[in-house]
Amino acid sequence: MRLEEHPILKFDRGPRVTIYFEGKPIVAYEGETVAAALHAAGVYHLSDSQEQHRPRGFFCAIGQCSSCMMVVDGMPNVKTCIVKVKDGMSVQVQRGKGDLGWSIEK
Amino acid sequence: MKNKAEVVIIGGGVIGCSIAYHLAANGMKDVVVLEKEYLASGATGRCGAGVRQQWGTEMNCRLSSGSARDFENMNEELEYEGDIEFIQGGYLLVAYTEHQVEQFRKNVALQNSLGIKSKFLTPLEAQEIVPHLNIDPLLAATFHDKDGHANPFHVTQAYANAARRLGVQINTYTTVLGIKREGDKVTGVITDRGEISAPIVVNAAGGYADVVAKMAGVNVPTYSERHQILVTEPVEAMQGPMVMSFHHNTYCQQTPHGSFLMGLGENVEPSHEIRGSWQFLKEMSDKITEMLPPLRHLRIVRQWAGLYHMSPDKTPILGGTEELQGFQMAVGFSGHGFMIAPMTGRLMAANILGLDHKDKDILATLNIERFAKGELFVEPSVV
Repeated sequence: MRLEEHPILKFDRGPRVTIYFEGKPIVAYEGETVAAALHAAGVYHLSDSQEQHRPRGFFCAIGQCSSCMMVVDGMPNVKTCIVKVKDGMSVQVQRGKGDLGWSIEK
Repeated sequence: MKNKAEVVIIGGGVIGCSIAYHLAANGMKDVVVLEKEYLASGATGRCGAGVRQQWGTEMNCRLSSGSARDFENMNEELEYEGDIEFIQGGYLLVAYTEHQVEQFRKNVALQNSLGIKSKFLTPLEAQEIVPHLNIDPLLAATFHDKDGHANPFHVTQAYANAARRLGVQINTYTTVLGIKREGDKVTGVITDRGEISAPIVVNAAGGYADVVAKMAGVNVPTYSERHQILVTEPVEAMQGPMVMSFHHNTYCQQTPHGSFLMGLGENVEPSHEIRGSWQFLKEMSDKITEMLPPLRHLRIVRQWAGLYHMSPDKTPILGGTEELQGFQMAVGFSGHGFMIAPMTGRLMAANILGLDHKDKDILATLNIERFAKGELFVEPSVV
């Protein structure tokens, strides 16, 4: 669901684009954040907690809490609540602390 | 708080607690430790936590390799209920100039002669150990797989707990205001919680060792300078060893938690200043992303600063002084006190109690009188 009207805020919806969540296409609009587009599409599980691996979702929405950090176009720890969508973007649930591509076996 | 003790140690950092433990373990239990804030609240708790044996002088090699052996067995020796988190991921030292290459060859020869099995590496061999290392400007490296890092808070706590169990009294939030002397003999310490009379007072005050020496009327050639560290967000384990460059004056280690911890030697005036600076963030980021490029993707979580207490030859000053009988010093560690704290405690305890120790010659060598005699041991490999 997306708000169409609001007493204070104005929503200038940009052109429609497609992002890919775990490979599945999701409708988004330019100007929206990744987390907002995922939320509108019913995706609530964004990452797993680092120690207990419990699901984490949309929380502070202002880039402070680390709850929405996901793997975006291969890069971990992207704060999806403050990063805007781009057409063709690939987004995945982040499990663990994030891998920069150089991880070693412990 | 006791008003009388055989030994009073000023400073509840890793050095003070190590000395206290080793005194008690050798039978001297009437010991009081005085700490202005909480344990490890000064230089110890702010340090880079590295344990390196690849040094450029015999003294530092022996102090650090002896200490590394203590770190290996510390949980058991001190019957610590926690874990000191000693991890031997190695140290990779990188050289970018011919001068450094030459120094590294000398260092490795010295280290090997003292039983430290460090190796001289080509840039490609270095990259096998740290794959994300930028080797474009690199000429050579040295590596020692038994170097590593430990948790300074846990190490200090482990020594303090063990010392307390043996009867040592540790008083935190107790500030030393003055040192009492009669003629050329020390007689006690004045604190904000009363006086303690003692025939032996140990200066283990870290970044404030110069201030404490002054209270006793003893001249020390040491001074403090600010060093800063930053820590990043965590990622999965990707870097085993500490990477250290004397050219960039930097070191960088991934902690067990996954965060990267890195520090930088800056040109600063002597002071007790420990506020951070934004210039450090910029310079540190510039240098580390050149050395280890993938780290540019990491966010910085926080920064802090602490004090190196520098001695003129960047080697500690250990033992007593002719100026004041009963006044013992373990000062001027020049940024590597944490990693040699175990041996420092052993040697200082042996010195105070008049016991034998196979490395006791180190004490005679690193005595403060060396500056008057001009017998300096300049450490070439310090960040």
